[in-house]
Amino acid sequence: MAALNPTDIINAGEHVFIKMPSDNVKCIVLKAGSSVSLGKFGTFKANDIIGHAWGNSYEIYDRDSKTRVYHPEGISEVEETANNNREIVDDPTSQKLTLDDIKALKSEGLKGELTGEEIVNKLKESHATFDKKTAYSQAKYLQKKGKKFHKVFTPIKPTAYSVNEYFYVRNPSKIRDIRMDTLSQLLSYSNVHSGCKLLVVDDTQGMIVSALAERMGGRGTILGLYDGDNPHYDIVKYMNFNQETLDTIKVLSWLRIHRPADEKTPDEMQDVTQLTGKDLEGYHRRLKAYNIVEESRKILFEGNFDALIVASQYQPESILEKLLPYVAGSRPVIVYHGTKEALLETSTWMRRCPDLLAPQLTESWLRKSQVLPGRTHPEMSTWGTGGSLLTATKVIDQPVQAALTKRERLAMEKKNAEAKKLKRAREEAESATSSAAAVGDIPDEAVEGEEEGATTTMTDGADESRSIKRAKQE
Amino acid sequence: MSETAVEKQSFATYKKNNTIEEGDNVVMYLSKENMSIIRVKDGEYFNCKFGSYKHSDMIGLEYGTKLGSNTGRGFLYLLYPTPELWTLVLPHRTQILYIADISFVMNYLNLKPGMSMIESGTGSGSFSHSIARTLAPHGHLYTFEYHQERVNAAKKEFEEHGLSDMVTLRCRDVCKDGFELEDKVDAIFLDLPAPWEAVASAKKAFKQNKVGKICTFSPCIEQISRTVTALNEHGFVDIQMYECLIRFNEIRVIPMWTIDEAMEKQRAIEKKRKRATPRVVPADNNNAQEGESSSSSGHINKSAKVEPSVDDSNQSSAAATPNSTTGSEMEDSVSTTVSTPVIGSETTASAAEAEPRERIEPKNVVVTRLPAEQRGHTSYLMFATFTPATQGPSLTETKAAAAAAAASSSAPAK
Repeated sequence: MAALNPTDIINAGEHVFIKMPSDNVKCIVLKAGSSVSLGKFGTFKANDIIGHAWGNSYEIYDRDSKTRVYHPEGISEVEETANNNREIVDDPTSQKLTLDDIKALKSEGLKGELTGEEIVNKLKESHATFDKKTAYSQAKYLQKKGKKFHKVFTPIKPTAYSVNEYFYVRNPSKIRDIRMDTLSQLLSYSNVHSGCKLLVVDDTQGMIVSALAERMGGRGTILGLYDGDNPHYDIVKYMNFNQETLDTIKVLSWLRIHRPADEKTPDEMQDVTQLTGKDLEGYHRRLKAYNIVEESRKILFEGNFDALIVASQYQPESILEKLLPYVAGSRPVIVYHGTKEALLETSTWMRRCPDLLAPQLTESWLRKSQVLPGRTHPEMSTWGTGGSLLTATKVIDQPVQAALTKRERLAMEKKNAEAKKLKRAREEAESATSSAAAVGDIPDEAVEGEEEGATTTMTDGADESRSIKRAKQE
Repeated sequence: MSETAVEKQSFATYKKNNTIEEGDNVVMYLSKENMSIIRVKDGEYFNCKFGSYKHSDMIGLEYGTKLGSNTGRGFLYLLYPTPELWTLVLPHRTQILYIADISFVMNYLNLKPGMSMIESGTGSGSFSHSIARTLAPHGHLYTFEYHQERVNAAKKEFEEHGLSDMVTLRCRDVCKDGFELEDKVDAIFLDLPAPWEAVASAKKAFKQNKVGKICTFSPCIEQISRTVTALNEHGFVDIQMYECLIRFNEIRVIPMWTIDEAMEKQRAIEKKRKRATPRVVPADNNNAQEGESSSSSGHINKSAKVEPSVDDSNQSSAAATPNSTTGSEMEDSVSTTVSTPVIGSETTASAAEAEPRERIEPKNVVVTRLPAEQRGHTSYLMFATFTPATQGPSLTETKAAAAAAAASSSAPAK
């Protein structure tokens, strides 16, 4: 057997998503020794799942909330029958059990005296027209009742996908409507990988930061810029990251990017040798906080970021303008927003920006299907928005010769030739004075001179603007 | 160039110095539709219709730099080859996966550094590069392909792209011969004509005591149907199916006149026309000289039709004259005979031409539209979960065993 990592098993104190028979998902912090109530589906003991591998489903089967690993029987094939719904009329009396009977069954089930399957079977047997239903309808009936009465739950491991799905379904505005597919594309476009250095402005409660951190596996740096008192990276806590991964996430307040003139270092404020007791503790606290800010500043100003990812409530251009200089060449720049319209102006801004190449505005479309043997079809409802991505590549703009017309080029060549001639004349004059000049050096120098000439002519502003125009046309 | 300092390039990560060196793969970006990849070698040239580019000019430049051609006719951008760019430039040997499916599958399978994964078939290696990048540096990709030539080509690419340490490529028909891997991987991706034939072997390949995820990628619903049966039969749970598409928006800036503005324009034109009629100047001649400004009511429609895309909008707005109010200004302009170069003779027509153009700046609106044609279906992405409880005999095996047990023990039952 392959060795298990700590992340492969369910650990006490971690966040766990519990999927219930109704397909609803509940998020809990798993405390050792506690009982976890799943409402009408019963209660289980946390210790029964702590230390076990993720992935299994459990069945609550006894009055003492005992659990056992549930082995699903698998989905049964539907055999075609001659039944159809011609004989079926909407008749509440076709279920022979009364409401009270069912309630009684339910409470027996809760006490653990009846399994979910037994209850469903009883319902089925006392259903007058069950046999007349089509095979599809029968299967659907059993599935529907199963969702109500089965007592099977599945602990789900928090991952970028499962956490994203949980919040997208439950409270999409919390994560600014970013859906699993859109997030996945953001991850691809960002080329996030182990060891990279990312600059992020994340107002999705840390959903994006969490997904990026997961893909970096504890190596590299994410610098998150935030406004307000704290970076609200609430989602990060659901991911059960180890310390190594948490350490890759650094933050810096927009207000602290530049050191305010009146900011003093803790040493400037107090003389550490004079401090005792509480004051000393306070000093060390301040020093720690100060060092964190200093470290983040250093990371920012060193630049060379491997991607810039912006998912902010503020105008994206205003952020890009400030942060683009810190991004290395040939690196992705990505803006996420919950609405496409908010990115339209940014997109036109990007096209005008000579440091950005090929902006592209995309939306994703995702459809889920029911897959059952012989019963596969798209689901009845699908997702609406999942947000929009605007992606581009940071480039290093340089005025190039391509922008010149023929006349300009000829003029430039002439100028270069003159410069070369001039230089050669000067060198000859020099070599005449110092007889030790090596002959072999001259051609090299001449070439260099030519290059110099070229650069001076090409830094002309008009040429530059024309070259940008050219670039855009392509 | 000191040879010792050259940093080996890998598609799985960036180079620390971010500098183009001899032997690097570099993406030549000419436009979105026109990209290609080269290996930099001193003395060679990259030629395309936008000019000729010396490899030696690229060496030492930072990635992302804009480079002008030697002939001075064009330029291109030198981009670092990422898996995403590779997908756009690679030589197609098969149908390939694109970013929408690649991204979603990787996210659903929860790929991250350090994992082990199976991919079959390798095809043109589009997905392989993304997987390798995501599993790097300590993870491993086992990729299988039954077509020998494709194996050879992919092997060469993995080597040239600095991925061979973390990719094991085998020429093998996994449907017939299985993966021959046991208790080894965290995730499996099957892009095969008959994925159901590989499910039994896939089950063995998963690390047996932990959760694992499988994805099958099939264009046809019939394939999905058979695969579901096989997955179900072998105890996989949580079978789900998705389709994912990306819509690429085109962005345009379109002018939007109010009806009042449009009428104001019209009125100005009419006024001009009225003034022009008594004169004996042939109308055709006048039109030809003046271009759009006097071309009667067609003007609005014409400029509205232009729909400048964003690129041009700077130009056009810069070229436009400041918004002038109509009427009264005319006298001024006559007296000063300003601006517009009058090509015609000093006939009376010149008075009309000298009139400032009645440009009314419309409100520009940024809009998006979807291209008329785009990808509508790639494949169905079917996912299932392997759980520690999945291991053990398949359903039919269990049933057969149960039946056998029942038969043998039927008589001496309790």
